[in-house]
Amino acid sequence: MIKFDNVSKKFPLGNLALNNISFEIEDNEFVFLVGPSGAGKTTILKLILREFLPTSGSIIVNDFDLTGKKFNRLEDLRRKIGVVFQDFKILPEKNVFENVALSLKVSHIAEKEVKKRVKEALELVGLPNKSQVFPIQLSAGELQRVAIARAICGEREIIIADEPTGNIDPKTTWDILKIFKKLEGKKTIIIATHNVDIVNSLKKRVLVIKEGKLIKDNRKGGYEL
Amino acid sequence: MKDLLISIRRTPYQSLANFLVLFFNLFLSLIIIFLLCFLYGLLNYVESRPQVTVYFKTETAESDIFKLRDTLMNSGKVESIKYISQEEAFNIYKELNKDNPLLLEMVSADILPASLEIYAKKPLYLPEIAEFLKKQPGVDEVNFQKVIIDRLLTLTNIIKKSSFVFFGFLVFITIIILMTITNFKVALKKDEIELLRLLGADGFYIKKPFINEAIFFGFFSSLTAFLIFDAIIFYLNPFMNSYLKGINSLVLNFEFYKLVVWPINWQFLLIIFSLTTFFGIIISIAASLIAIEKYIK
Repeated sequence: MIKFDNVSKKFPLGNLALNNISFEIEDNEFVFLVGPSGAGKTTILKLILREFLPTSGSIIVNDFDLTGKKFNRLEDLRRKIGVVFQDFKILPEKNVFENVALSLKVSHIAEKEVKKRVKEALELVGLPNKSQVFPIQLSAGELQRVAIARAICGEREIIIADEPTGNIDPKTTWDILKIFKKLEGKKTIIIATHNVDIVNSLKKRVLVIKEGKLIKDNRKGGYEL
Repeated sequence: MKDLLISIRRTPYQSLANFLVLFFNLFLSLIIIFLLCFLYGLLNYVESRPQVTVYFKTETAESDIFKLRDTLMNSGKVESIKYISQEEAFNIYKELNKDNPLLLEMVSADILPASLEIYAKKPLYLPEIAEFLKKQPGVDEVNFQKVIIDRLLTLTNIIKKSSFVFFGFLVFITIIILMTITNFKVALKKDEIELLRLLGADGFYIKKPFINEAIFFGFFSSLTAFLIFDAIIFYLNPFMNSYLKGINSLVLNFEFYKLVVWPINWQFLLIIFSLTTFFGIIISIAASLIAIEKYIK
C-alpha cells in the first residue's frame, strides 16, 4: 500500500511542487497519474522512491515510513520498487541480459537464479532472443521493453513508470501497455503520463494532478483535458 | 574480471595514469625498503663484531681480569664478553702467521696481552664502557669501533627519518593523483551509479568495481615495479659482491625471525614484494574509496 497524507513539497528556490496531497493506492492496484507537464507527477514518483523528502505530511510505502529524516532502509525500499524511465536509462556498454540482471544483482541474488528470472522477464516483454544484443542495436520500443523487464525482475512489488511511452511511436506504445496489462493484479503499477488516449483506453483508476494539487481521483477510469 | 577489463578499455588514459603513478610510487618504495633493510643489516653486522676490545698489561693477573669481566657483566649494559688468554692470543697469532716462520720465532705467549672482547647491548653504551675500562688498573689499551658504529647509526637514522618524510609525501601525492583519476572514472560512470542507487544497490555494490580495479592496479603495478627492481638488483649483484667481499651475510633480527638481507635471496625479495603489493593495494583502495564516497552519499 502507498499512502500520501497531506504531503507538500517545496523546493529550495521556493516553487511549490506538491500542495497538501493525500491519496491511497492499494496493493496490486493499477493507477494512472495524469496531469500537464510540471503538475507534480514526477515529484510524486520521486517521493515514493525517496529521492527526496516531503516538506510536510507523511508517506508510507508498504511497511516503510518515508517521512523521517533518519531512514536506513533505503536499499530495502528501492529493491521493492521497479522504475521505468522515459529515457529508458539502459547502460550502453552492457547487453540486454546484463542490463536486466542488474536489477537482481543489486539484491545479491545467486547467478543461477538471475539467469532464470532474466529469461522469464525477457519472455514477458517479448524479447526472448535479444538477451545478448547491445542497446545500440535496439529500437526505442525495444529499449523500453528492456527497461520494463529490468523493473519487473526480482522481488519488486511496485512498478512506477514515468512517461514510459513518451519517446516511442503510437504502435509500440500499445505494445508497451499490453506488457503493463499482463502485470495487472500481480504488482502495484503507477504510470505517470499525459497521454489521454492511453489512460482512457485502459479504464483504470486515475489520479489527476494539476499545479501540485490532486484535483480528481477517478476510480472508474477516464480522463479529460 | 570482464567488467574490470571493460572499465580499463573504456578509460585507457586514466588507467595508464593510474598504473604509472602507482608503479612510480611502489618502485621508489621498493628502493627505500631495500635500502633500509640493507643498512639495518649492515648495522647489525657491525654490531655483531667485537665492539670493545680491551688489552691488559702482561703482568695483570687473570683473576683481576675475571673480576673486571664480572663487573661489566653485572652492569646490565653488556651482551657478552669473550676472554682471550695469552695462550689463546698466541694461538691466534700463530694461525695468522703460519706462513711466516720468522715472525713466529720472534714471539712467545708471554709478550702477547690477554684481552676481553666485549659486545654491548646497545651501541649507545660503547663510549661509557670504553671510558670505564680506560680507568681500570692493569688495562693497557682499549679499542672500540665508535666511529664506524656512530657513522652507521647516524646514516641509518638520517635515511630512516628522511625515508619516512619522503614516503609520507609520496603517499600523499599518490593518493591525490589517484583520487583525481578515480574522480574522472566516477564521473564517466555517474549515470550508472545513479541507476544502481535507484535499483537499490548498497554502497558496497557500487564501490566493488572500483575496489576491484584498485586491487588490480595495486598488484599489477607492484609486480612490474618488483620485476624491474629485481632486474636492476641482479645486474648490480656482481658489483655488490665485490664491494661487500668478506661479509658473509647481512641479517635483520626480528623477535622470532632472522631475515637474511645479503646475499640477495628469494625469501627476502618475496617479503619486500609482499610488503609493497600490500601497500600498493591499500593506497589504491584508499584513494578510490575517498573519491567515490561523495557520489554515493
